[in-house]
Amino acid sequence: MYRENNKIKFTLKDGVLYTECFPKTIMTLEDGKESTRISAEMVNYKPLPLLCDLTNVISMSQECRKHFSGPEHASTFSKAALIVTGDISRLIGNFFLGFNKPLKPTKLFSNKEEALKWLKE
Amino acid sequence: MRLNSSTNKSVETKETPSEYPNLIFDPETDKRLNDILDMIGNVAALDFSKTLIPSKKNDMIDAVSLGLNMLSEELSSSVVEKSKLDSVNKKLEKFACTTAHDLKSPLASIIGFVSLLEATLKPEQGSEIEEYLNYLKKTTEQMRSLIQGILEYSKTDTELIKKEIIDLNEIFEDVINSDQISEHATLKISNKLPIVFFNKPTLIQVIRNLLTNAIKHSDKETCEIVVESKTDDSHFQIRISDNGPGLALEDQKRIFEWLNKNDDYSKKDSHGIGLATVKNILDTFGEHIWVESVLGKGSTFCFTIKK
Repeated sequence: MYRENNKIKFTLKDGVLYTECFPKTIMTLEDGKESTRISAEMVNYKPLPLLCDLTNVISMSQECRKHFSGPEHASTFSKAALIVTGDISRLIGNFFLGFNKPLKPTKLFSNKEEALKWLKE
Repeated sequence: MRLNSSTNKSVETKETPSEYPNLIFDPETDKRLNDILDMIGNVAALDFSKTLIPSKKNDMIDAVSLGLNMLSEELSSSVVEKSKLDSVNKKLEKFACTTAHDLKSPLASIIGFVSLLEATLKPEQGSEIEEYLNYLKKTTEQMRSLIQGILEYSKTDTELIKKEIIDLNEIFEDVINSDQISEHATLKISNKLPIVFFNKPTLIQVIRNLLTNAIKHSDKETCEIVVESKTDDSHFQIRISDNGPGLALEDQKRIFEWLNKNDDYSKKDSHGIGLATVKNILDTFGEHIWVESVLGKGSTFCFTIKK
């Protein structure tokens, strides 16, 4: 199953939800809420492992980070692997884990295979 | 001649000598770095109004700018939250103190009437009336002690100005005698305690609270207290150890909070004020207090006094 909006591509495959932003994406609170809505619809309101590639994100607002760490978004995933391959995405990922403290198990990875392995543990 | 940081080649320049003679950047990079320095200065001054505008280059400087923006936002939220919390705490403390003050006089009347009732009824020993009267007396005494504790806590900010030279050995001796500590515990002072410069009434309050705390929470047939002092270049450290039940790590973190009550505390008729008052006094003087404890193996309350 595949969907996309103007900022994010969503793919549901083998029981894992993959999300990936288009290049140079700036994420706002509205984008975060839209992402949660689409994710919830795709997983049919039952939380699944999430592999979220932050590589193309160049900025994420504080409200958006807060939203992604809150209960509404947590209802869409069971655990989340964040792919961070550049300085900016790694920074966003570290802020997200450090300051926003997501409610479900969340880890940063630079490698998709390792991330998938952890998600399926 | 200076070294270009990006190429490591020496270049000729006619610019005014900069603060960092070994680093030369193009004017745009120079401006971006200066903006970052300004931003760091603003954040250090707790001014979170500035935001860095990243260039479209998506380079390391943009990453640093983005990081600073996010750090500034998060710090700003934390500072606002802390300030709200401080304000709520102050209001709560003020409310508790006002209430305690207002309750003092009606409680004195109740205590008086209970005594009058006892004198009038002259209950037989072991009778139900005696049992009820004893329960009333015990409850009113607990309430009096709670009110006294709240009022003492509120006094600590305003009455600490006068300091004097105090022999800690004498202070301990005074508290041990006046509070009849030896009736409830064996107390050993293991080395000669120092002479300190502090506010005497509040230091007595600190020592009295710590000794009473050890006795109140003792779970042994004999409560054993050991007092010792240590010293470093700048501070004396006073350590009061007991053979009580000890504290779990989580309780060690909360033990000095105002109105803190863990299970053990509520069992022991404690109000969660004594240790908060001690911490409040020591904080006001810029001193520190902490507890070292292993569950089941007793606790050591340590506090500092500047030399």
